Amino acid sequence: MEEKSYQYMENPLHVTRREFITIGGIVIAFLALPAVWFKSIATSNNQYIQARTKGLYQDDEKSAVRVSHANQSVMRYYKEFGGEPLGHLSHELLHTGYINRSKGLI
Amino acid sequence: MNVAAKTYQKGEIPGVIAIKASVCKGCDACKRHCPTGAITGMFGATHSINADLCLSCGQCLINCPFGAPYETSDTVDAVIAKLQDKNTTVVGIIAPAVRVAIGEDFGLPAGSLVTGKLYGSMRKAGFDILDNNFTADLTIMEEGSEFIARARHAVFGEENAHGGHIGPLPQFTSCCPAWVRFVETKYPALIPHLSSAKSPQQMAGTVAKTYGVKVWNKPADRIYTVGIMPCTAKKLEASRPEFISAYEYNSKKGQAAGASYPDVDTVLTTRDLSRLFKKLGINLAAEKEMEGGTLLADYTGAGTIFGNTGGVMEAALRTAYAVITGNELKPLEFKKVRGLNGVKSASVTIRDSKYSKDVTINVAVVHGIARNIAPVVDEVLAGRSPYHFIEVMNCPGGCINGGGQPIYGNGSSWIDAIRPWFAWR
Repeated sequence: MEEKSYQYMENPLHVTRREFITIGGIVIAFLALPAVWFKSIATSNNQYIQARTKGLYQDDEKSAVRVSHANQSVMRYYKEFGGEPLGHLSHELLHTGYINRSKGLI
Repeated sequence: MNVAAKTYQKGEIPGVIAIKASVCKGCDACKRHCPTGAITGMFGATHSINADLCLSCGQCLINCPFGAPYETSDTVDAVIAKLQDKNTTVVGIIAPAVRVAIGEDFGLPAGSLVTGKLYGSMRKAGFDILDNNFTADLTIMEEGSEFIARARHAVFGEENAHGGHIGPLPQFTSCCPAWVRFVETKYPALIPHLSSAKSPQQMAGTVAKTYGVKVWNKPADRIYTVGIMPCTAKKLEASRPEFISAYEYNSKKGQAAGASYPDVDTVLTTRDLSRLFKKLGINLAAEKEMEGGTLLADYTGAGTIFGNTGGVMEAALRTAYAVITGNELKPLEFKKVRGLNGVKSASVTIRDSKYSKDVTINVAVVHGIARNIAPVVDEVLAGRSPYHFIEVMNCPGGCINGGGQPIYGNGSSWIDAIRPWFAWR
């Protein structure tokens, strides 16, 4: 019976240790890409919400009058037409009621 | 669309949002944004909307990666026809959140404040302007007074001067039509807690057709009111059959002969308005800045922040503080209710000058009801809510991120964000 000779092959791919680490790094970077994509998408989603929010607060800051009860036109509305807040005409024109719609849903 | 819709009154649009079956890929992205779980369909299969549960908030529409949801109500051409009719005064009711978003449709960066250019474009198109911020101020006067009445009733036992019924605390805001419908369909027990004040849009329609008759010198049936809203649910709100108070008032005065007319005739979303401008060849970005023109376009800083989450609360606190104490709030900014946390709360101790006693008011602000409303509502239903005044807006961030706003290329529509990176786009 012939004995099978054992052959030891050193580094069959001819990759040095440094090359191995480089390749490994590139592979991990590619695996991480989707995470970066999703993160950038999530933050950009918040960015446009924050930009619009800021826009409205700017509008508030540059307003000369910043409280509702000092709005001269609102005062004029109540004086010429509406009476007073929660008054009779306000109740008729500016208030409403709600209905129970849950019956249709069991 | 569900034909046998049970949660709608006669005359209402039975669900503003529907899904185009040929476009839907069944990716389930929309379900994450739906506040009521109204979207049905297995993963991978075409989805559809249960109109009875749907609030018409449009969050699925602005977040779908494929653009499958669409609005069933489109009145751009009807409004153009009214604009060309010389006998009709077309009144555009501009919501606060529109002025910081519509620029995006004309190439301006997100968040550009374009009030002047928007007024200019509207007036060029033939609109008269009623700034919804004016009625936001009016809403604060009504809703703030209502809160003070409820609070003084609860604390000091004060009765209504006109003998009317006073509702319980906490008081919820009622400006957001999706939130109102959410209460009506899911938590009817909370209805007494909702402020009875109409939303700014409905107040605007009523004011335009009653007080506005003097301002524009036109009979009410010649005034056509167009809500310009960041919101798809406003289309449903405007179609509610009880909103004909201007007609009822005018006919009581003997000034309405013809057929009944709604307070708000139709609603355009921000996207609809930019489509209308483009059809009329108006480039908003290049238009002249103009003033509103009438006293109904006057507004304050408190009215304009209505479009942000926390804005209604901040505006209400500024006025309530002044009414209760007799002094102005200093500083005016109330930073605790700002920002993008799901539930924000604050408490203020103020001295009631009428009763010479200190009262502490706890307020809460909720936005994005899909994720954040349940614990707050459960506390109220169990009767152990620490709050007295609660602002709720359906959409995350408030109206500025509403379902009628320009769809931001890469919002959650991540396909659009990634597409430019690929050669075959």
